[in-house]
Amino acid sequence: MASSQHVLLSPAELSYLHSSLSLTPPIRPDGRSPTQYRPLSAETGILPGTNGSARICFADGTEAIVGVKAEVEKTKRRWDDDAIYSENQPTEGEGQQQPGRDGDNGEESGSSEWVELTVEIPGYRDDDSGTIFLGQMLSEALLADGGFVRKLRINRRFHWRLYLDILLISPPLSYPLPLLSLTTHLALLATRLPKLKSEGDEDPFFDDDWAAAPYLYPRDPSNKQKVVERPPVTLLVMAVGGNIIFDPSKEELAVADVALAVSIGDDASTAQQIQGGDKMDVDSFSHGSGSGRNLKLLSIRTVDPPSRLTPPGVANAANSAYGHAQVVSSAGAGGNSQKMPEARQTESEAVEGVWKPPRGGAKAIVMGALVQKVLIRGGVADEVLDALEGVDTS
Amino acid sequence: MPLDTSTYGLALLRVDGRRWNELRRIYAQIRTQAAADGSSYLEMGHTKVMCVVTGPSEPGPRRGAGISSAGGAGGGGGGAGGQSKDAEVVVNIVIAGFSSVDRKRRGRSDKRTLEMQSTLANTLAATLHTHLFPHSQITISLHVLSQDGSLLAALINAATLACVDAGIPMTDYVTACTAGSTSTYAANDEGADPLLDLNHQEEQELPGLTVATLGESDRVVALVCESRVQISRLEGMLAVGVDGCKQVREILDQVIKAQGQKMILEGTVDKGTGLNDMDLD
Repeated sequence: MASSQHVLLSPAELSYLHSSLSLTPPIRPDGRSPTQYRPLSAETGILPGTNGSARICFADGTEAIVGVKAEVEKTKRRWDDDAIYSENQPTEGEGQQQPGRDGDNGEESGSSEWVELTVEIPGYRDDDSGTIFLGQMLSEALLADGGFVRKLRINRRFHWRLYLDILLISPPLSYPLPLLSLTTHLALLATRLPKLKSEGDEDPFFDDDWAAAPYLYPRDPSNKQKVVERPPVTLLVMAVGGNIIFDPSKEELAVADVALAVSIGDDASTAQQIQGGDKMDVDSFSHGSGSGRNLKLLSIRTVDPPSRLTPPGVANAANSAYGHAQVVSSAGAGGNSQKMPEARQTESEAVEGVWKPPRGGAKAIVMGALVQKVLIRGGVADEVLDALEGVDTS
Repeated sequence: MPLDTSTYGLALLRVDGRRWNELRRIYAQIRTQAAADGSSYLEMGHTKVMCVVTGPSEPGPRRGAGISSAGGAGGGGGGAGGQSKDAEVVVNIVIAGFSSVDRKRRGRSDKRTLEMQSTLANTLAATLHTHLFPHSQITISLHVLSQDGSLLAALINAATLACVDAGIPMTDYVTACTAGSTSTYAANDEGADPLLDLNHQEEQELPGLTVATLGESDRVVALVCESRVQISRLEGMLAVGVDGCKQVREILDQVIKAQGQKMILEGTVDKGTGLNDMDLD
């Protein structure tokens, strides 16, 4: 679905919504604070036939299900693989311990083709541009740093191929990006792959005990519930006037000046260093204890807000129903020349209380502020990740 | 993997341990989703489907998303919905890629899916009182989360539940069930037993049919048979299938009554005058 699906609001309603969202603090139609997410209920492991699955219901009734299925696939070998193989053989041990160091040599790194992500939205074709855009945004976040596909590597000859099927169950009442992203996050956390029994570059052979199957995102050995690294989440943020609003509903998105999909990852390794390594670190000290999440930006996409397609309102001064008719009619032959500048003026000038769709691109300073607000420590992203941590994924 | 049917003759038990006339476990829920007009969730064994009904509502500007059936008067099919005297029933089936054992993605133009959509649309258009909602559209979207045989039957049952939840007037419950026969078409086995409610393994190997009936009556509203069946066995299979539909109806009826009682107790709906004799404990 396109974000620009039609919202049936009149220019007067749009103007009212815009001005109430531009207040400080903004007043949202559903009474949330600007950084508040819609309440949600979530569960994982609902489909025993999949490697991992999750379901999330937002309080407004939208619901999504994500299922993850994995297959073993033979890795396509490059013509010069043998050369790389012989060159790297002495340093292979080192490479195994520190993946990412030499991520570009084609052996340690995976390929983004190993992950296939499909989005299904009822009533929309699967080749609808909006659906493809949604799928693209979600897979982009996942593949951004190459760390995810590296997990899918079995050995030099084989890898896992992961299929993520994202289903929106309810009719799309709001732009479903946050919902789909959070559901995918949980499904990936719950994903387990069979335990490998074979060694080295043999044909893979797996343990048939599902209870022994390790998680795709490994758990902390000391605390089974704690996940060391977490999949990315994509947050939808928008700016109206001087305000930044998270998780906008369909109506709110209809008056957005800018809408942005920001994907973030939780860089757990560095967070532990800060917390455990040097306690005197200024950064972690100043933000108190606990909220030591080190967020990293994975990708940004601008979402075309539907506000650009809304019809503009007409100011009383330009409205023939409010006495302006005389000007137009008495102008006679010269009417056109008199009418045109008038019309142009109402197009360009903002009149208080009259809806005018946003024109032109977003200002760089606004974009910067939006991203900053997402990445701020102890902010919304932290809250969302904390909330998702509370979901039982075992 | 061929199904080993040779053991059936020894203990009269099927591969999953059922007898010939036993249904799999059916679990159903209605009103699973707050945002929809009507919704349901249904499990028949390991076949799991979800249904969301939207409408009756004004037909949207887009069409052609699903198979539609303009009931009777429309005649012109998809295009007639807006002007026709009857509501148009649009069915949209999404079979999730992860639903079968091996992941297989089925596009929207998959022939089997399209056929199931049109069967469902025609069946429901005949049962729902579509003449009460002229110039409108009832959209039924079904999601298959897991499949293990009797898919069409599960879809019909889930759609019935969701329509009841949506409060669309209908003649009676439409309940469906599958029936099969213990030996293959080629085996000229005189003593072949009919079987009730086939699972995926049996469906692959044995002849089978899906039958849907109206309420407690023996009136068949849909009958789909996609395999070769010897004519002498058809009668037995149909009889068993119709009997199974009655059992399914009982179960669905229980689910709806339980939900109704819950809603009255919670005060979501007022207790009607005709409900005084209902046992609310």
